[in-house]
Amino acid sequence: MSKSLKWLFALMLAMLLVLAACGNNTAGDDDQKKDDPKTETEDPKDDEKEDEEEPVEDDGLYSIDDFATSKTNEGEAIEGGSLTFGLVSDTVFEGTLNYNFYSGAPDAEVIAWFDESMLYTDGNFTFTNEGPAEFTTEPYETDEYPNGVTFTFKIKDNVNWHDGEPVKAEDWAFSFEVIGHPDYTGVRYGPDFSNIVGMEEYNAGEADTISGIEIVDEKTLKITYKESQPSLLTGGVWSYAMPKHIFKDIPVAEMQESDAVRKNPIGMGPFKVKSITPGESVVYEKFADYWRGEPNLDEVVLKVVSPSTVVQALQTGEVDMVDSFPVDQFVDNADMSNVEWLGITDLAYTYIGFKLGHWDAEAKKVVMDPDKKMADVNLRRAMWYAVDNNAVGEKFYNGLRWQANSLIIPPFKDYHNADVEAPTYNPDEAKKLLDEAGYVDVDGDGIREDKNGEELVINFASMSGGDVAEPLAQYYIQSWAAVGLKVELIDGRLLEFNAFYDRVGQNGEDDPNIDIYQGAWSTGTDVNPYGLYGPDQMFNFPRYESEKSSELLAAGNSPEAFDVAYRQEVYKEWQELMVEDIPVFPTLYRAVLIPVNNRVLNYAIDYGSTMGRHELAVTQEEPFKHE
Amino acid sequence: MWKFSVRRILIMIPQLFVLSLLIFVLAKMMPGDALSGQIDPNIDPARIEELRIEMGWYDPWHEQYARWVGGVMQGDFGMSFRFKMPVTELIGQRIVNSFWLSVATLILTYLIAIPLGITSGRYNDTFRDQLITGYSYVGFATPLFIFALVMLWVFGFQLQWFPTSGSVEPGMEPGTFDYFMSKFYHLLLPALSMALITTFNTILYLRNEIIDTKQKDFILLARSKGASESRVYNQHIFRNSLLPIAAFFGFEITGLIGGSIFIENIFGYPGMGQLLIESISLRDFSVVTATTLLFGIASILGALISDIILSLVDPRIRIK
Repeated sequence: MSKSLKWLFALMLAMLLVLAACGNNTAGDDDQKKDDPKTETEDPKDDEKEDEEEPVEDDGLYSIDDFATSKTNEGEAIEGGSLTFGLVSDTVFEGTLNYNFYSGAPDAEVIAWFDESMLYTDGNFTFTNEGPAEFTTEPYETDEYPNGVTFTFKIKDNVNWHDGEPVKAEDWAFSFEVIGHPDYTGVRYGPDFSNIVGMEEYNAGEADTISGIEIVDEKTLKITYKESQPSLLTGGVWSYAMPKHIFKDIPVAEMQESDAVRKNPIGMGPFKVKSITPGESVVYEKFADYWRGEPNLDEVVLKVVSPSTVVQALQTGEVDMVDSFPVDQFVDNADMSNVEWLGITDLAYTYIGFKLGHWDAEAKKVVMDPDKKMADVNLRRAMWYAVDNNAVGEKFYNGLRWQANSLIIPPFKDYHNADVEAPTYNPDEAKKLLDEAGYVDVDGDGIREDKNGEELVINFASMSGGDVAEPLAQYYIQSWAAVGLKVELIDGRLLEFNAFYDRVGQNGEDDPNIDIYQGAWSTGTDVNPYGLYGPDQMFNFPRYESEKSSELLAAGNSPEAFDVAYRQEVYKEWQELMVEDIPVFPTLYRAVLIPVNNRVLNYAIDYGSTMGRHELAVTQEEPFKHE
Repeated sequence: MWKFSVRRILIMIPQLFVLSLLIFVLAKMMPGDALSGQIDPNIDPARIEELRIEMGWYDPWHEQYARWVGGVMQGDFGMSFRFKMPVTELIGQRIVNSFWLSVATLILTYLIAIPLGITSGRYNDTFRDQLITGYSYVGFATPLFIFALVMLWVFGFQLQWFPTSGSVEPGMEPGTFDYFMSKFYHLLLPALSMALITTFNTILYLRNEIIDTKQKDFILLARSKGASESRVYNQHIFRNSLLPIAAFFGFEITGLIGGSIFIENIFGYPGMGQLLIESISLRDFSVVTATTLLFGIASILGALISDIILSLVDPRIRIK
């Protein structure tokens, strides 16, 4: 064997290893958090005694209602102290430590300790006046933009950057100038920015300034939007400032690789960055001048913890708390004695989608196709009736995921319609619907044929990752088989994350062989579902549109919808429409669980909590250990 | 000798070319790209499309390849899309970690292998020898990633003798003695795990060589001249047996690369192996191609070193 052949063989082997290792992949936050099943090392359960507070039930089932959202405070806080925060990720953090440039979720966790939003939000994810800045709005009406709105922001006096400079209106305006700049390299630019008067001209390089942004005085900023929409109040206004005095001499194209972003970033948050070990850890020290008061803790250490070792790290007190915990490891560790488990409903849902058309790249909109295999709504409804998502939640997830009924998730308290009459498990109803719709078994093999009496095979795309992916997909296939529908995994296997979204159509090139797919969305904090179901949205993967839906989606984000009651009514109707039209059906909502060491005080995870990180404290120098 | 080396180095050029082409095409054939992970309703798909065009990801592959090779020639591997920094700088951060890990592993491997190999060769077919060969067979049969996990669990989590992830304690001042010690402490367990497993072939080579050499005529001669037993072993046998081991030194490097991919991922040790796996799963093409290319070059260089050492040792191998 010649040298190069040998070498080629070695390369092939390496590739094989690489392929084997890519099975687990956590790209993207819409994908479920997966962990490496093979590396789970279990501590023997030597402690049989159950803590009364632990939400343990005899049947091994848990419910999100049993979890608190804020830490029970036990004991007296000590002066100062150091806390270790685990960033659970099987990749390193990228180190793009600025809100205007980051794109990975791990980086956001790192930034959140030293910088913050100019506007805080409440439990409905709506901006409040509690944060570093206050705002008022007034209508802006011109012939060109009859529905405009002007926001006036006033930055509070004692808000300072870590280097002592006050946070000024120009710092905030600077963020817009950077993101809108033609040379900007990040992902943030989008409709939220082009909605600002003059932004498109600036972005195209035709104007040197953004006409809709006005610095009134040192602490006052005015921003005018072309269209007044309720989404502006739920994250639609870019609420992150950047220190202009530091960035002003750096060309926009080079900012994201500059030391001001990567090595010594500053912010206005309760802790300032002391040292960074790239990708591994960050040490923060307290910022005594923090505008909400001096932080209790002297120091915070953030370090990356792999999902496969996070349990041990928590048990030994190596980390006090984590940003997210792999929920499928909870059941085996519910009795961990040194932590309290907090839990909340995640801003995400899993769903089954039906391919109803294709993406027209020219017109940039979806086109429905009445000849699609899944075009009959009765077939889709029957498939919804055929699956028992309660059982899925209990059997596969121990109750930590549960049956979903609506595409607007429960954390959107004002808008989630808990009473929407969604199909629940009823195989007889499914069979009846199929019989009536003409899907009957003609040749007597136990499998239904389509309306023309021809063979019907539905191709199902589902993502790999985690222990549960395969059995879950098989469960759905069996459930559909039980009502006589033949569903097969596309290519006979699960698809890897990237391949899955490529074929489902993230580039608009949908794989025409896919008929149904199982996906998941993380919704973000804006209730408006337009980005996922609007007719001109690439992420409308089912390629569904209807006049009624488009109308309701537009109404839900119109100026009238600032009236919460009106918006509720619109979204209620839309949720009902989705149960009628079924372009997709939601299958599961999910829980986020956060373990917090017993020595930690003043920590809450509920949405819109006003408890700041400066209030965090510990009751003793060393973390509690699991016994 | 020189002729051989030069010729051997010239062969590397087409090897490297084919390697770079293969790496690039395979990387591009992977479904998805670095922006696929950004499927998020809060990010505008139009912006993502714009970025894809800006990055030139829609250009024909040969144009992209030409651009990439042009950059590589000048030492520029492009920008990492994920880390938003030049790949050379990124690799610069990581390669140091991997380099020290490899050095430590090599030293530990030889520290374990040479005494064991000599003992086992000198006292072949005794109980001692059986113990040592037993150990090397166990090492041969144990998958590295299982063994590393067990080591991590026992020494990292149960006994807590070693840190369980990272390359250095958070907040250490680079350049200080403490920093250096912390780095060393962090790489000890991964290096040891790998050395204990990969040492088997060196032990067995050494053992066989010694047994072989023991029966050669010149040893008989040395003995008959009245050389002491220790002189026979240390001077005559050991030196001769070590030559093939030295020759395999280059291949050892190739083996280390394969091992480091597992080890770094299991121990959360931020080196090149971890970088490679991460950038493959997140489709950070410029990093994937750069790391694979560097790994490829290291393997080719390893083979080259071996060939050169071998040809020094054994003139028969030189090509006429």
